[in-house]
Amino acid sequence: MAGSGGGASSADAGEAEAGAAARAPAGGDTALLGPIKVSARSVSVFYGEKQALIDVSLEIPDKTVTAFIGPSGCGKSTFLRCMNRMNDTIPAAKVTGGILIDGEDVNTRAVDPVLLRARVGMVFQKPNPFPKSIYENVAYGPRIHGLTTSKSEMDGIVESSLRRAGLWDEVADRLHSPGTGLSGGQQQRLVIARAIAVQPEVILMDEPCSALDPIATARIEELIDELRVQYCIVIVTHSMAQAARVSQRTAFFHMGKLVEHGPTEDIFTNPRERRTLDYITGRFG
Amino acid sequence: MTDALDPTGQQTRQRAAAAQLKRRYARERRFKLYGQLAIGIALAFLLLLVGRIFEQGHTAFYTHALTTPVYLDPARVDRVYPSGANYLQLAADQQAERLGVADDPVAVREVRDLLSSELNFVAAAAVEADPSRIGQTLQLRAPLDDSADLYLKGEISRNTPEDQRVLSDRQLDWLDQFKANGQIEARFNTVLFTRSDSTQPELAGVLGAVIGSALMLFVTAALALPIGVGAAVYLEEFAPKNRFTDLIEVNINNLAAVPSIVYGLLGLALFINWMHLPRSSPLVGGLVLALMSLPTIIIATRSALKSVPPSIREAALAVGASRTQAVFHHVLPLAAPGVMTGAIIAMAHALGETAPLLLIGMVSFVPGVPDALTDPSSALSVLVYIWENASERAFHERTAAAIMVLLTFMIAMNAVAIILRRRFERRW
Repeated sequence: MAGSGGGASSADAGEAEAGAAARAPAGGDTALLGPIKVSARSVSVFYGEKQALIDVSLEIPDKTVTAFIGPSGCGKSTFLRCMNRMNDTIPAAKVTGGILIDGEDVNTRAVDPVLLRARVGMVFQKPNPFPKSIYENVAYGPRIHGLTTSKSEMDGIVESSLRRAGLWDEVADRLHSPGTGLSGGQQQRLVIARAIAVQPEVILMDEPCSALDPIATARIEELIDELRVQYCIVIVTHSMAQAARVSQRTAFFHMGKLVEHGPTEDIFTNPRERRTLDYITGRFG
Repeated sequence: MTDALDPTGQQTRQRAAAAQLKRRYARERRFKLYGQLAIGIALAFLLLLVGRIFEQGHTAFYTHALTTPVYLDPARVDRVYPSGANYLQLAADQQAERLGVADDPVAVREVRDLLSSELNFVAAAAVEADPSRIGQTLQLRAPLDDSADLYLKGEISRNTPEDQRVLSDRQLDWLDQFKANGQIEARFNTVLFTRSDSTQPELAGVLGAVIGSALMLFVTAALALPIGVGAAVYLEEFAPKNRFTDLIEVNINNLAAVPSIVYGLLGLALFINWMHLPRSSPLVGGLVLALMSLPTIIIATRSALKSVPPSIREAALAVGASRTQAVFHHVLPLAAPGVMTGAIIAMAHALGETAPLLLIGMVSFVPGVPDALTDPSSALSVLVYIWENASERAFHERTAAAIMVLLTFMIAMNAVAIILRRRFERRW
């Protein structure tokens, strides 16, 4: 069953823009909501016999932060991982349906997941920098994708990525010390720098702040707000407060189905579905 | 059980709990004691073993040499062909004269038996270096025969009846005389490390066996390491997980437990009889040991790869690395300490293996040092076996000495394994 409240793609985008103009949405200026970047069409995921995601169709606009919320085990992380085909690494997983990025279906054999993952970056729940130097962490991606031809170019990419992740000032004097020696919040920013070094179009974040303290969390949320001007960001979060703070659009998942999606303010103040209301008022989950 | 003094039964319960606690602590103390006992027994056995070997072998590290004046009689030494002369007989005759027993041929033979045939080479070398020495009297120093050496080390005693001894009373007297004259000196036994195997114990050394073992280990490492690590990486990272690969894993684990002599049989049938590779060569020995080490290396490498957290692989894949790049750039470097430890332990095992080498022919007597992988050679572990079975008494101490050399190499290799592992360990 397609998510109720999700309609045809252009109608949805138009509705969002028109509706947003009337209400001031949380998380920033609606004029920055871009065209549709990622479009999911009837995506289902099977782990062996068990179906973890049931017929999800969703549009995700560019230059926006879209939040996925829902109780544990509802399939939001699974759906997130479909977008950069990380589910391919799980042998028993099968993903059906269309995942269109800029109109081109990436869930086919013809598309190389390695190239896809350069366009769609990912940040994980627990910061996982490589056990190499900070410089090497950021430089690895551009190097394997052949984005630079000289050392000075690479230095430039490393510096700009670290600056945009808000980490440059803290590590400029110790670029060759191990990345694992940083604090949790710094490591997560390093991972974000690593992701943006390959110049992606979409950044996926799977509960990026759940392992961090409140101050580090606040910094990451600030960073997300800065980054959304340039990238399409999708964030999975357990914290509804975070979703309300950070995102412009929200999608609510429950038991493998997409229940409702729309502008964040709408979802949190005036949801259409009963289940959504129950979830955000804390009746379950 | 309540009574007037303890209406709620709480005191009884507390006492019961206290008694139970005492029993638990007693059990803990007993368990600790068992552990210490076990370690103590193991250490005792280790000390016993090492002590016995050391006690038997330490005498092999020094040897006695005799300095005797030899008149290079021009009548018996040919200027044109100096190495053809029988210097041993010459020296024995002259020494017998000095001892006053020159007319008794048995006595002369007994004198000659005290000297090692090495004297021939020492004298020939001296004459070839300076032919003008013919006609002079030289003080030549050469090793004593192994029985004489054993007497001087205290292994042969006068208390045994003469007919049960290798040396007669006369010979023992003469040796005491030489010693009193200061003609005998004890020196470090360099022969043990600079010469190869010999039928004469005083001229026997481990050099050929050490070189043979080294060449064999080289072949083993060159084959088993790339193939083993490659197979493990493929099985762990790239192969699909289905019943076929499960079967492979079970078989590899079983192969690790197969007795090594079976690998010797395989080597005999495959490499020697079918492929006609040279028998008793480091090449065949290395091939057999490589086959034997493969399961160990594969299992250790797979275990090391499994211990790398999946978050590293995911991070690499998420940045756009291919499977191969993720494995070789990230997973394998992190697994390196475990891989290295497994490899060096496998090599140390291979160094000490004897049974498969016996089957491929290394039990034959090989007097020289192998030059090439296809030359016949011996191995250190096999040398221990050969010397243990030899009849000369003097090989007894040399066997223990060879064991000590073997153990030293193994300890050194294990120490290198530990150092390398510490060096390459990284936090993640």
